[in-house]
Amino acid sequence: MGWFMSKRRSDNYLSNFLGVPTRIIVLILLFIAILFPFYWLVTNAFKIEREYFADPPVVFPSQITFQNFIDAVKKYELFKGLKNSLLIASGTTVVTVFAGSMAAYALINGSLPRKLKNVFAGWFLVQKMYPAVVVAVPVFYIIRTLGLMDSVLALIIMNASFNLPLVILLMIGFYQEVPYEVEEQSMLDGCSLLQRYFYITTPMVKPGLVATGMLTFVYSWNEFLYAVILTVNRAKPLTVTIAGFITDKGLIWGPMAAMGCTVVFPVLLIMWLMQKNFISGISAGALKG
Amino acid sequence: MLISRHVIQTKTDKIHSWLFILPVFVILLIAAFIPLGYGLGLSFYRYKLNLQQSPVFVGFQNYTGMFKDELFIKSLKNNIFFAVLSVSIELVFGIIIAMMLSDDNTLSRLLITFLMVPMIIAPVASGTLWRMMLDRTYGIVNYLLELIGLPAVSWLGDYRIAIYTIILVDCWQFTPFVAILVLSSIKAIQKDIIDAARVDGASPWKVFMRVVLPITSPVIIIVAMIRFIDAFKVFDTIFVMTQGGPGSATEMLPTYIYRQGIKFLRVGYSSATAILFITSMSIIAWAFIRLRTRQLKRLG
Repeated sequence: MGWFMSKRRSDNYLSNFLGVPTRIIVLILLFIAILFPFYWLVTNAFKIEREYFADPPVVFPSQITFQNFIDAVKKYELFKGLKNSLLIASGTTVVTVFAGSMAAYALINGSLPRKLKNVFAGWFLVQKMYPAVVVAVPVFYIIRTLGLMDSVLALIIMNASFNLPLVILLMIGFYQEVPYEVEEQSMLDGCSLLQRYFYITTPMVKPGLVATGMLTFVYSWNEFLYAVILTVNRAKPLTVTIAGFITDKGLIWGPMAAMGCTVVFPVLLIMWLMQKNFISGISAGALKG
Repeated sequence: MLISRHVIQTKTDKIHSWLFILPVFVILLIAAFIPLGYGLGLSFYRYKLNLQQSPVFVGFQNYTGMFKDELFIKSLKNNIFFAVLSVSIELVFGIIIAMMLSDDNTLSRLLITFLMVPMIIAPVASGTLWRMMLDRTYGIVNYLLELIGLPAVSWLGDYRIAIYTIILVDCWQFTPFVAILVLSSIKAIQKDIIDAARVDGASPWKVFMRVVLPITSPVIIIVAMIRFIDAFKVFDTIFVMTQGGPGSATEMLPTYIYRQGIKFLRVGYSSATAILFITSMSIIAWAFIRLRTRQLKRLG
């Protein structure tokens, strides 16, 4: 039972607060509730049509086909969506991490008036409060006036603005961990702020930079609202393509599930790569503001 | 939050600092400050993008008009109902799950990793996924219900049930979020406190009620606040699953604002709704933050 019960008795004391049987039942249900939907998504993506439209539903597919993925590519422009999603998410990541870390560095180590810092702090709080949809109409109008409708750039700008607060917040934490002596020493050696940022301090917080970047990537990969408002055809990312499946084309489950797998898989991969950083990133973003 | 260090200030450093902050400022200007200000301005005008007419200043008419619009009232009610119910369920289950996973062993760690999955995949994807599973005829959920002798449910087609379906999916996505954040604060409790209570003969339930809950309450309040505010941002899931339907049974504020502004192009009116929205959210957040400060003070 070593893997189920901990060595410290006080730990189990808490985790069994509703009794051991309740705990076992709840955890088993939890396990099923989380993983079964994914089993369903993945198997549907590989089922033949007769089996994804079966009554009663087929839980264990009798044969595996790649036809759904081929259909998704040929009929439903999977590659176009994938390309756009990648461009938008990586573009946003580069812009946000670069601009965000520079701002965080200047706020921590630069010489800026104190008031400005409070303005930023206040702004982060406000931005957390309002949903993206409240600026949708003015943004729609502004982007149209700028001639950026249906462009990847428009989505990069919008996603960047919504991810910047989190990135700045996290990067401030990482920069604060660098001992001040490092800054001081390089300042005495005659490094300007620009040089210190590029050559001294930022290389020291590289792991943090990468983690922050991955978080931004995931958020902008998943983004839907602005994508659906600001794209028509050329710049449509995967999330919009999936949503279009349901509304226009009825329920074509096989290709839809194939598309779903394509949206979900990169995010799971990133999560697996980051493991613990992910949890701390999300909780820091939630709790620090 | 932002404590800067004591820095020797040189002139180039000052210039560089401003340059460093410039990109962020430009992005926020285009994507946030200008749209917000513009929206605030528009909210006092009657302006429809599809009609070839210039905006007409109408004062607060857009704001008062809202409360005469039945659909607005309906979506407001729906949204409050959705927020209260889904956040309560998420809190209860999230705290229970956090408690149950608070021991440090392989199984718990594995489950915590799995817990991350629903909350980080695209809401569009999870909406699609659930739509597949909840389909009336071909869905696996109805099949399982029939298997144990219960009647099939029209999860998304019945106007009385659809909102509960949305709540169910929201809980599936975000109970893990609550659980993970509460879990980290339970783990931060010093073991001696719990050991002391145990030695004094307190039952596990009592320890939970009298020790764990009070100590973690500031975190729980913040998590509740985040979830409550986020519940008023729900858009992707509804868009994919019901489009606000059937009828207006699952219409919520964000989908309402979207429909008025982007579909019907009632720019002035939808801006007014949006501005009112931000104002009320700020008030709610302020109330939560006050509650938290009081809680923190009480704990010393």
